[in-house]
This record gives sequence, structure tokens and C-alpha cells, in this order.
Amino acid sequence: MDKLREAYVGEYASGKSEIAINRALELHRQGRKVRLVDLDLVEPFYTLRPIKKELEDKGLEVIAWNTGEIIGLGETGTLLKPEMKWALKYGGDVILDIGYGVKGVKVINLLEGLEDERPLKVYAVINVARPMTSTVEEIVEYISTLGKVDGLINNSHLGEETDEEIINEGAYIVTKAAEKLNTPVIATTVAREFAHLVGDKDCMGNPVKILELHMKKAFW
Amino acid sequence: MAVLPPMPKLWYRETKPHKFCPGCGHPLVLKALAYAIEELGIEDRTIFGCDIGCSLLAWDFFNLDTVQTHHGRTTPVMVGIKRARPELICIAYMGDGGGYAIGSQHLVNAAVRNENIMVVLANNTVYAMTGGQMAPTTLPNQKTETTPYGRDPEKTGNPTLGPEMVAAITPDTAYVARGTVAKLGQLKSFFKKGLQRQIEGKGFSFIEVLSGCPTNWRTNAEETWNFLENEMTRYFKVGEFKVPGQVKEDKNE
Amino acid sequence: MAEKNLEPIIKERRVFITGNEAVAWAGVAARADIMYGYPITPQNEIMHYWTRLAPKYGKGFLQTEDEISAGFATVGGVLAGKRAFTATSGPGNILMQDSMSMAEMMRIPTVMIITQRGGPSTATVIYSQQETTLTCFGGNGEGIRIVYSTASHQELFDYTIKAFNTAWKYRFPTFVLGDGYQSKMRESLTIYDPVERGIELVPAEPFLGKGGVAGLDRPPVHLRNTYNMEDELYEVVRELVDAYNAVAHEIVEYREMETEDAEILIVAHGIVSRAAEGAVARLRKDGYKVGSFRPITLRPFPAEQLRKCADRAEKMLVVESAEGQLKKLVTDAIYGSTTPIETLFRPGESITVEEIISAVKGL
Repeated sequence: MDKLREAYVGEYASGKSEIAINRALELHRQGRKVRLVDLDLVEPFYTLRPIKKELEDKGLEVIAWNTGEIIGLGETGTLLKPEMKWALKYGGDVILDIGYGVKGVKVINLLEGLEDERPLKVYAVINVARPMTSTVEEIVEYISTLGKVDGLINNSHLGEETDEEIINEGAYIVTKAAEKLNTPVIATTVAREFAHLVGDKDCMGNPVKILELHMKKAFW
Repeated sequence: MAVLPPMPKLWYRETKPHKFCPGCGHPLVLKALAYAIEELGIEDRTIFGCDIGCSLLAWDFFNLDTVQTHHGRTTPVMVGIKRARPELICIAYMGDGGGYAIGSQHLVNAAVRNENIMVVLANNTVYAMTGGQMAPTTLPNQKTETTPYGRDPEKTGNPTLGPEMVAAITPDTAYVARGTVAKLGQLKSFFKKGLQRQIEGKGFSFIEVLSGCPTNWRTNAEETWNFLENEMTRYFKVGEFKVPGQVKEDKNE
Repeated sequence: MAEKNLEPIIKERRVFITGNEAVAWAGVAARADIMYGYPITPQNEIMHYWTRLAPKYGKGFLQTEDEISAGFATVGGVLAGKRAFTATSGPGNILMQDSMSMAEMMRIPTVMIITQRGGPSTATVIYSQQETTLTCFGGNGEGIRIVYSTASHQELFDYTIKAFNTAWKYRFPTFVLGDGYQSKMRESLTIYDPVERGIELVPAEPFLGKGGVAGLDRPPVHLRNTYNMEDELYEVVRELVDAYNAVAHEIVEYREMETEDAEILIVAHGIVSRAAEGAVARLRKDGYKVGSFRPITLRPFPAEQLRKCADRAEKMLVVESAEGQLKKLVTDAIYGSTTPIETLFRPGESITVEEIISAVKGL
């Protein structure tokens, strides 16, 4: 069985971490060995750190700092934990949660083992309720700044105000952008709370994945 | 009818005679600066900013829109104005304390960023308005109220060489010079070159001016000019340190 | 090349963004011309998003060498007649008080966004309400400034736009006091073009560089903040304070919840007021006669309005993520009231609905 290597990228607060966690847990449920890596080097808040223990208890291997482990996060900078550099050297699946930032996917240049035969798939998470990725043109422009991207994920929502309209609007816009970019739409993701608004497929025929939300308690 | 002494048109008559001490270098600096502005014909768009210390006495000196800021902060205020309204010609005026001590980070970084403003710094080797304390430019062994036995470079470092420093950190388009109130014609030409850079939008200019402070030096006219022309120039070389377009020869070639 | 859209029209819509992004978008919506800033967490994304948006809307940005410079450059931008703003936090807020004191003295309408972090000193980059006193009274003067304390992303957007209007209308430095939680949380809000909503934008005008030849076409403008005599300064400050007091009643904003018959009055500002209002809603269901009062403007402070509520109540509970900074404002405002004041202080730490409920039940 091939080991998977996937990286989730996207705009600030687009839902990358949530999707990365859900993907890691999904693979784990299939009986696979999974390692989840926090590669958010820009944003000291809303990262995997605060829920690291919880995720480890669920059976994932998580490479992230413990919040209390280093002094002055956001003040000393966001530090690369040495283990992160070697994160790809692993016998199981590797899921990378990549933070936002102008450098996009380039953060993976910090990792050893990229030249490995197993390809690293990069998926971009899009929420069209975010004003800089709200139209087909904006998404196409944004994706082109990221570097290599292997697929888009429509994670369009309005938090607690999410409705069918925003999910469908997202599905439509993201699908159109994907066509222009000549890349697939991997899925539309919807929080469990709003799962009843959609079926197995979104209005554009893309598969729907239901998200359990873990990041709300992950502020610090 | 009283006859007015000759003064630049740019000097604001309502506030003359000015408040600087007799023999002070500031009015001479401001005279050369006024003539430079007049000759370039930029009176309609020049903004003058002055610092704290004696330079603040220039707050109502010119027929120019003027703002007096905080100690050391004239450079960032003028940077802020210039960035917001690039069509204005911005001049920051300060003393050695304002430019080399409390506001040195602003001078250094404005120079490095090649901000399109002109900084004019009067160097009289003392904090004058606060009563004659040691300045960054106080000469070795010079007595001030806070170096009563003379400045000891072992303990307080050597006098700041401002233009030398600014020349080292600015790009080639910048203009850097040190003038003196003992050579007003030369000083005016330095100001004009600096302002010309700004008019052309080519970047930073910095002109330090050796300036007399007989009040704090406690010197008579002869001693004042002797200190200014002979003592100070031994340490502070007068001339141009960076002239745009003038390629420096590499002597190590 | 990005198209320069000099008359930004933000399409009105619901969006899902962080508070810092909301501020950057509000700057665009308010037709801000230029931002000056220096990196500090948790403020950074205001700059990150302003620098992403600025070229698209023909706006300026300068990253300065420190917060002292950013504050004074903002003063310069405003003197030049532009809608200039800056944003900072904690130690940066301390450094910017130098320039804000100049803005108070010379009535320079700067706009400054503050994302409070933990203090004193470097402390944490996370959250607190410990910059309340500093933001209200940080200068070497009388606090002649306007401070809005926001509680949500929508308010960050609304009040950032309003801050430019208030600043330019009344000519006092104006602050939007947020915090690390508001900066970083993700919430939905409506972004909009205030002009399309019929909100009039108070025009900026130059203090310096007014056109024409000074001394020929008009007298030169000479601005200073230095004076000689104590009586001379007294006149200046008196005039500033009188001008401030004369318009204070037009500026004050506050929010009351269930105060009419409240026996217990919770007083909180900023994001803590959300927990307070949540507690009131739940306690009311359980039959507690509880209400809440939230000053939205901390300077000027809604003193009369609070006093009326305080006099009706049997007890007050002041709740804040600081050790009594809001309480100082409260006790000053209601001096003479005999309503006892209890406190729930959590310097540098967030406060939940449950904690307030249990504090109220313990009264």
C-alpha cells in the first residue's frame, strides 16, 4: 500500500488545519499510520499546538511544539522544530498543515526527503467567504502565487451562519476556478453541524466530506 | 523709517529680530537655506520641520509652512509627510542631539531607505538649550556641564562622524556633505545640491553644518570663530562625502 | 499591473475573516490613504492585509524602523492632509504615546488601532485589557483623545471606519481598542462601502502644504507644541479640554442590556462585554435580575449614563481582563454613588460566561 504525502495550503483562516486534521483522522480510521505536521510558520495563533495531546490520544503522531515548550511565541518568531525538517522521512502517511503567507508552498523546501519517489500532493483550501478569494479571478490569481497545487478544496462557509447558499456558491466558484487552473476539485467540505444542507455530492458534482471541528479550542 | 537689515525674502518678517543668541550659528544656517530655497524657486511647496533644542526656535522663522515636532522625531514626521504628499519638498532641521542621539535610529533608517527628504543638522558640539551638556559631537577633552573634566573618549566614545556614517549607508543617488557657517556660499551650494536631489525625486540628502554656540562655549567672537574654524574642523572635515554620479575610485585596485 | 481603483467600492457581503483583516478592509472602506507600521504580534495581519490591498486601491504603506517612527510618520501623513493610520500593541503602544501626545496637543486627527496583548513588559502576545489606561491616558497630558473599545469583528470594521470620521470631524487623535482575541478570532461580518450606505466621510484637509506661496498669497502656517509660560500653557490646555468637553456628549457611546430593573449591574468593556451579555441572558432565564452596561467609548466615558444604571442597582460587578483599569474609570464616573462595587479581575486572561455567572451567583 502506497504511503500518502499531502500538504494543505490556503489563505489565512481558510480552514487548512481543520481539513488537515480531518484528513489525518480519516486515514487513521482506515487503519493507516498517520503523522500530522504543523508547518504554520507565520501565525502563532490557531495552530495544532493546543490540541496536540488530544490528537495524539486519538492515535495520530503529531509533530508540533507544545505551547508551553518555547517562550515568547510570536515574539521570538515561529520556530521550526527540528523534527519538522525530517517529517517526510516516515514509514506511514504524512499530512502537512501549511500556514498562510506570501511564500506559499515554499515552506516545504525546509523539509528533507522531497526528492523521494512518493509524490507530495498539495491541496489548496478555499473559502469564497474570504474577500480575497471570493471570485474565480481572485482564486486563479491566488493559486498562481502558491506554486505547485494538485487540487482545490471548497471549504466555503460563514462560521455559525453557514447556509446552503454559501456552500453552493463556493462549489460553483471553486469548480470554475479549478477548470481554469486545469486542476481537480478534491472535495467540498462541510462542518457536521451543516451536513444536512448537502448530500454526498455538492451542486457541481464534487464529493462532499463532513468535518468534525477541532480547531475552535485551538486558539493558543 | 527704520531700515531693515538685508535678509532673505523667505525670512518671516513678523518674527524678526529672531530669538537666537548673538553669535549663534543657527541664523546663518537658516540664511543659507533660505537663499537656496529661493534660488531654486520652491517656496510654494517646501515644508520645514524643526526639532527640540535650539532648532525649535526656527518654528516661526520662515515664510514656509512649518511644524515643530518632538525631540529627535522631526525626521519621521517629514518622512510621513513626504510619503503622503510626494510633491512637497520636505526639510527636517535638528541639532546634533536630535539627529545623532535621541533620533539616531530615524536618521540611520531614513538614510538607508533613501527617503526623498533633506535632513539638515546643526553641529555645535553641545546640548545648548538645556544648558551645555555633552553632545554626541562634543570634542575629546572638551568641557561641558556633564563632562566637567573634559570629554573622555575612553568613557564616552568619540564624537559622532555623521556625514561619514550616512555616506556609508546611503545608495549612490544620495547627497551627503558637511558645511560650515564659516563658508556660507559653499553651504548654500550644498543645500541646493541636496534639494535638487529631492526635486528630482532621487532620494536622501544629509547636510551637517558646523555651527557656533558662543553662549555655551563662553567664547568671545575671536575664540568662537577659532573653535569653529580650527578646533572643530580638525575632527569634522568640511566637504562633500557623497555626490551623485561621482564614482569613487577604488584605491586598492 | 493591478488596476488602481481610486474610488474603492467594496461589494457589500458577508465574509468570514479574522479581526485584523476586518481592520485592513475597513481602512480601504474608510478611504484611508496611507498606513505606517512596525511589526508586532498580535497586530501583524493588519499590515499583512493592508499591504496586500494597498496597491490594488492606490494606497500607501511604509514599514518604519520602530513604533516611535511609525507614530510620528502617521502624524506627518495627517499633517499633509491624508487619512493616515497606524496599528500596534503592548510595548509598541508605549512607544507610540510619544507621537500621540503631540497629536493631542496639536489636535492632529491620527487613527490608531490597538490590539491589546498581555503586560506589563513583553509579557504575552495573546490577549489582555491591560492597555486601557495607557490608551486612554498614555500621554504626558490630559487624555484629550477618543477611544472606542470594540467587541466583535463587525464592530472592528464599523468603528475603524467611524474612527476616521470622528478624528477628522472633531480633530482629536482617535483609537480603536481591540485585543489579541478579536485580532485572531474568525467570525462572519458584513463588509460594505460606507458611501454606498449613505455614511458621509468627513473629508481630510492639509494642515501644511495648503497651496499658494506662504507669506505672499497667505500667511505661513507655523505649528508648535512648545510654550514658554505656565499661564500660556494653561490657556492652551484649557482650550483643548473645553473643546473636548464641549463635544464629549456627541461622541459617547454605550450599550445597556436589561438595566431597567437590574439589581445587579455588570460593567465590562470590549470583548469581555460579550461574556457579560451572555451571562445576563442566561441569568435572566434563571430569574436573576441582572443587567449589563458596556462603555463603547472609554474616552470620553459615558459617566452620566452609567451613573443612572448604577443608582438603580443594588450591586455592581466590574469585570475585566486587567487589575482594575476599567474600574478606575467607573469609580471616577460614579463618584458619590453608594452602590457597592464588586470585581472580577483577570489581568491578561480571558473571562468566560460561566465565570461571570458564578461570580454573580456568589455576590
